[in-house]
Amino acid sequence: MIDRVRKYVKAFSITTAAVLFMTPFSAIAQTNSASASSGNDRWLHVRVVSSDNKGETVRVNVPLELAEKVLPAINKDRLHNGKITIDRSEVQGVDCRALLEAIKTTKDGEFVTVQSHDSDVQVAKQNGYMLVHVTEKRWNEEKNSKEAKMTEKSRVEVKVPMKVVEALFSGGKDELDVVAALHALSAHSGDTELVSVKDGNDTVRVWLDSKNSSD
Amino acid sequence: MMILAKIALGAVGTMAVATVYTFREGTIRVDVDEHREGGSHVHFWVPAAAVPAALHFVPDDKLQEAVDRSRDALPIVQIVAEELEKYPNVEFVTVDGEDEHVKVSVKDAKIYVDVQDHNDEVHVAVPVATIKDIVESVANRRQAQ
Repeated sequence: MIDRVRKYVKAFSITTAAVLFMTPFSAIAQTNSASASSGNDRWLHVRVVSSDNKGETVRVNVPLELAEKVLPAINKDRLHNGKITIDRSEVQGVDCRALLEAIKTTKDGEFVTVQSHDSDVQVAKQNGYMLVHVTEKRWNEEKNSKEAKMTEKSRVEVKVPMKVVEALFSGGKDELDVVAALHALSAHSGDTELVSVKDGNDTVRVWLDSKNSSD
Repeated sequence: MMILAKIALGAVGTMAVATVYTFREGTIRVDVDEHREGGSHVHFWVPAAAVPAALHFVPDDKLQEAVDRSRDALPIVQIVAEELEKYPNVEFVTVDGEDEHVKVSVKDAKIYVDVQDHNDEVHVAVPVATIKDIVESVANRRQAQ
């Protein structure tokens, strides 16, 4: 009788041991397959570093594929089906589409340079990228001098592949197709620094690469 | 004696299978600590697989109320949950300040939200599969109604 109990216990122990032994392997297999599926993903990273007394750092890492799938599901305010409706009054009569068409067909170089008392703006096309540089100025009057000295208040640098800009304007007349732009961005190979902002104590960086962490 | 042994073996076996089944999706864990006088401390964990099952017992009118309130968010949560399964170990958002830390991450297919400031601490961990199950369950109930 004891032998039969022992047999039952033995069979149960072997089955339990087998299940427990196999569980980590199945978990590892799941993890590996999941990791493999995200291996070729493009990631959008945002880092905001504030060097004031609170010294905050914000890091955001978003897979483009996730953003591409989530955006069409958000329908709020001006964002519908992954497209943002432009308010005509905001563009002040500028025909962005005609402007883009003109930029597309023009050779590389500087298109617009606006230098004013408060800021400098440069827009250029270079090696398939659209570059926008904006520098805000600050004028400090020195005590013993009548001449004011200019220092940089903030600097914004934007570098976006032309294909992304084209995709952004590929929707309807008064809308920006954000999903199409993200799709074009994910098809863009190589690491790209998209936006860089230096404003006083704050630094903002937005870039694209294939890593899932910003470090 | 033999009968007792068989009953014991059956009970242990059933318990083992039930435990494995109940915890197959892991656990949902919530920890809230308010480090101040009179502050509350909440710590609980529940088997994740129990939550979608428990949803079946929620009265229709209450569920409808919840669905109405989260109508816009449900499709987004569903897509995010489906997509998150592809990213088992990622830190999506981190905020590090002098006295506050926030982290939203996915580790071993579980979403972690950790918030810590000088007085309070909140830690929430939910398996991604559970979120997916809950959303699907709610969507199915909505269709059935």
